[in-house]
Amino acid sequence: MDQQDRIMDGDLQTLGLQSILKMLALSGKTGKLFVSSGPETLSISLRKGQIVGLHEDGVPQPDILGMLCLINKLDPPRAEMIRELSKGDMHVALAMLVERGWMNANEMQQRLEFAVTQSISHALRWVNGRFAFHRQLVPMESKLRPLDVDSVLLEALRQADEWEKIASEGVTQFTRTTVARWQPEVSNDVRSLGLNQESIEVLCLSNGELSLQAVALVLMAPEARIARVMAHLFELGLIEVVDTVLETELQQDLSNIIIKCQYTLVQHRNTTNVEQHLLGLVTTLSECINGLLIHHGTYAKSLRGRGHVPSIEIVRYLEGCFAQHLRTLAKQQFSILDTATFHYGQLDCTDILTLNKVVKGEQLEEFYWEAVQGLAAFLRVIFTELLRDEVGNSHTGRQLTVAWRIFLSEIDHDIQQYQFYRAQRKTQRRGYENIQPSALGMVPNWSAAPDNNGGFWSPETRRRSI
Amino acid sequence: MVEPTVLVVDDSPTVRKIVQMTLQREHIRVITVGDGLSALTSVADEMPAVILLDIQLPRMDGYQICQIIRKNLQFRQIPIIMLSGKDGLFDKMRGRLAGSTEYLTKPFDSVELVQTVKKHLANWQERVPVPQQNVRHRLRYRG
Repeated sequence: MDQQDRIMDGDLQTLGLQSILKMLALSGKTGKLFVSSGPETLSISLRKGQIVGLHEDGVPQPDILGMLCLINKLDPPRAEMIRELSKGDMHVALAMLVERGWMNANEMQQRLEFAVTQSISHALRWVNGRFAFHRQLVPMESKLRPLDVDSVLLEALRQADEWEKIASEGVTQFTRTTVARWQPEVSNDVRSLGLNQESIEVLCLSNGELSLQAVALVLMAPEARIARVMAHLFELGLIEVVDTVLETELQQDLSNIIIKCQYTLVQHRNTTNVEQHLLGLVTTLSECINGLLIHHGTYAKSLRGRGHVPSIEIVRYLEGCFAQHLRTLAKQQFSILDTATFHYGQLDCTDILTLNKVVKGEQLEEFYWEAVQGLAAFLRVIFTELLRDEVGNSHTGRQLTVAWRIFLSEIDHDIQQYQFYRAQRKTQRRGYENIQPSALGMVPNWSAAPDNNGGFWSPETRRRSI
Repeated sequence: MVEPTVLVVDDSPTVRKIVQMTLQREHIRVITVGDGLSALTSVADEMPAVILLDIQLPRMDGYQICQIIRKNLQFRQIPIIMLSGKDGLFDKMRGRLAGSTEYLTKPFDSVELVQTVKKHLANWQERVPVPQQNVRHRLRYRG
């Protein structure tokens, strides 16, 4: 952007956004007005004094297509198709919907106008910040019909006043970036709660993913009104406010645990015999369990927001949550888990990991196999409990569940290969040596099973483990 | 405004999903593929702003893919971040020689991943040339 194109700039405290826009409209200017406050920047494109486009930096573009699906105005397959083609550009997406006859042109115009008004209304409330007007060319392909500055300002100011009003009523915890989600405990039919249509729509859109701004955009209702509805739903105990910072941290921590365990799993694929491989799985599973226990000691709902919690209390909490599950698994199915104990909030698997000092051969393999199955079952229990407690049925929760299932499928793949090996060995012992599982397409390169030259795992598995 | 896209190439579905989830949380568009040939197809089709490339891949390894991209005039400016479990100096040197921009060692940290990707996404529009039609034929594997 050339400095010579900048024909006006200044401080918002000296000249407010309202005055700047009026001035540019009256003089019929063409160019781009940049207004910034903190990390947020608004760029308003003007042609001959009329608004022809607006872009907000520092604020993620709402997923308009996903939201239209949520309010049953668009089919998910169509939304997916448009999403692919529009590459996340809301204006392009709306234009495509109109082109295909899935939205009428008036609705598109209304939605674009509303988005412009909403953004300007937000910026009108900025006290500190700067502005600059550049007389550069404005793109011609704008989907928005030119808007009269006066009418946009009138509606934007009205919406800004509404924010001031609800703030004076004490509704201060809801801002345009607030994300709300319905309480996981609420399972009543919402129609029986006596809520009006707008409240029901807001409740349905409070999925832990959409911001208040996005909900207002899709319902084409002023943000302040949505904030008031959310405050009411919050009072009724129907929704909770999502702490996005905490959830980001929580997701990062769990992602790191999964990536670390996947790495450990892959490293153990280099092993050349069955016992070593099973031992590798035991190591991976116990490492993963202990990683999740440490994580839960930090992010468990009942331990949050209490400042520094003594470690003994965390240990007691973790053992209270999971020790019973471990005992049940040991009692009902996997007796080897009796040798694994909780020690300062961590699962101590030393006895299993050092079994090779006590037993050898097939018996060792059997113990390891039982430990793998038992720990895999326990790992599933821990993750399910942990997610339910920490994030509930939220967008983050669903995302993590998918990632977790994918990781478990990698573990299951290794477990299955061992199961095929066991099946093959049994078959051979019964005198069916001629039948090769590899011929059935189950395990490639199976014939070299467990030898001393690395033939246990298929070349593909070994290659992936390098 | 078109969003920048990050292409993730890794044969592990877990790594693909975690990277996708982590970057999407930062509102970064992500596409993922599991092998080398699909990676080249995606580079031609999507013109990614950044490529996260695992070294050990089926059919064609990360070094080979990196070299092919670097030899192509259309795509040579795309930053390539190598992802690998190998953290030896020799492996990093080999990555550099193949043309990688940066090297992340597995198991990587989510915050580090986001920071590295964001660093290379800055000014991506200035760096990546305007997409041309029918560029896929230019990406040929030459051994």
